[in-house]
Amino acid sequence: MSSLESNGLQIKELQVAYHNGRQVLGNLNLVLPEFGIYTVIGPSGSGKSTLLRAIAGLLPGYGGKLHFNGKPLRDKNTRIGLVPQNYGLLPWKTVHDNIDIALKIARAGEGGKEARETQIAKWLTAMGIAGLAGRYPLSLSGGQQQRVAIARAFAIRPEILLLDEPFSALDAMTREGLQRLFLGNWQEQPATALFVTHDVEEAILLGQRIVVMPAGKTDAAEAPEILDNSAVFGLNYEDKRDSAAYTEQSRRIRRIMQEKWQ
Amino acid sequence: MKRRLWHIARLLLVFLAMNLIWYLLYLLLHHPILPSPGPVYRAMFELEGRDVALNVGYSLLRIFEGVVLALVIGLLIGLLMGRSPFWNRVLDPVVYLTYPIPKIALLPVVMLFFGLGETSKVLMITLILLFQIIISVRDGIKAIPESTYDVLTSIGATTAQKFWNVTLPGALSVILSTIRISLGTAISVLFFTEIYGTEHGMGFFIMDAWLRLDYSEMYAGILLFSFVGFVLFLLVDLLDHRFMKWRK
Repeated sequence: MSSLESNGLQIKELQVAYHNGRQVLGNLNLVLPEFGIYTVIGPSGSGKSTLLRAIAGLLPGYGGKLHFNGKPLRDKNTRIGLVPQNYGLLPWKTVHDNIDIALKIARAGEGGKEARETQIAKWLTAMGIAGLAGRYPLSLSGGQQQRVAIARAFAIRPEILLLDEPFSALDAMTREGLQRLFLGNWQEQPATALFVTHDVEEAILLGQRIVVMPAGKTDAAEAPEILDNSAVFGLNYEDKRDSAAYTEQSRRIRRIMQEKWQ
Repeated sequence: MKRRLWHIARLLLVFLAMNLIWYLLYLLLHHPILPSPGPVYRAMFELEGRDVALNVGYSLLRIFEGVVLALVIGLLIGLLMGRSPFWNRVLDPVVYLTYPIPKIALLPVVMLFFGLGETSKVLMITLILLFQIIISVRDGIKAIPESTYDVLTSIGATTAQKFWNVTLPGALSVILSTIRISLGTAISVLFFTEIYGTEHGMGFFIMDAWLRLDYSEMYAGILLFSFVGFVLFLLVDLLDHRFMKWRK
């Protein structure tokens, strides 16, 4: 059994370099407790997407250790729900089949067709898109596609949930609706979640803690700043924006941004 | 629905117009080498059903075998070139150099190597389709953004699962359009190969009628051959409709 210390997602001395040798991530250390949700903000080039790709197993090589509840992620025994910025839906499969294939692969040998159908129906309803099951992704709006992508990520009941700027291509109204929907569903079925965004507001609205990545400069292996955000996180979504804690947090982050990202 | 009816009506209209031109030419020429449409259609309907089925069946089987063979080999090589930069570098010059060779010119070579039987007929069709399929499969696979695989990779999909769910459907649209384009050439070549070494097939049927100076039957054969080609085109369209529904 894993001790309490090794619970959750452990990132130790993570290093990632491009082919040309340029370091994208140098010595990143981060501990994400099980069932915690952290938001990550950083300027472009800070390696925040690279961090997600490393955890998702999409990078062929990286240095350092990635463990979840004591098991190395390299062993592929941890179920990961990924929500990419471009939704990552297969255009030639219907909404229903997109989720179905993910279930078939991620939960191979578990339950039959009926169990999958129940799961698909449940998450399509939860995301408010039950009527779109037979549609193809290209005929949907960006917001609808992202709902499908989130439904798919939740449906496989992942241990780790990774979101890579999922709402950045959406308009403000759609984004707000989806933030609320996402947070509500995450509370229903909590998974250890890492949410990458470039939007300070979104980072404060969704994270228990906020990881502010240092600007990616080749030599400096600066540690990311981790801010406690529990004061805002405990509030109702509707009340968050008007709270004093939100304003305070926003000011703090902007100050860090000015210091670190210059 | 209304648009489809209009489409069919237009096809029928063109068909009638072509027959009318044919009839006018017949009146102008007034020579046994061009019979009027009436006797030709009569000859077509008087053909023995079993005989026709056998000839059409043989031709279709050859086309089918040739297409399947070209698809299997083309898909394998195209896949290799599309997914591996190394193999693309190795094979690209080969494809580049052999692509412009008019494949019909290879007919005597194929006949020398594989005889006059079925093998050389099927191989000719395969040869004509193969290079175009290789190139379009490779380009089709390269055009699939790498990120399309990300979600499946992150949940631990096997190579086979990625092939069936991403690579193949992603390349299917180019494969279908390639088949549509090269099917016409394949049918023409089939005609050539059916002139020799066989007593079955549409090509044989037409040339046999020609030798017997039975021009009505010869034209009936040509019409039948065209009809088979038309049905094959419809079939590709049907496949396109079935598998390309997602492309809005």
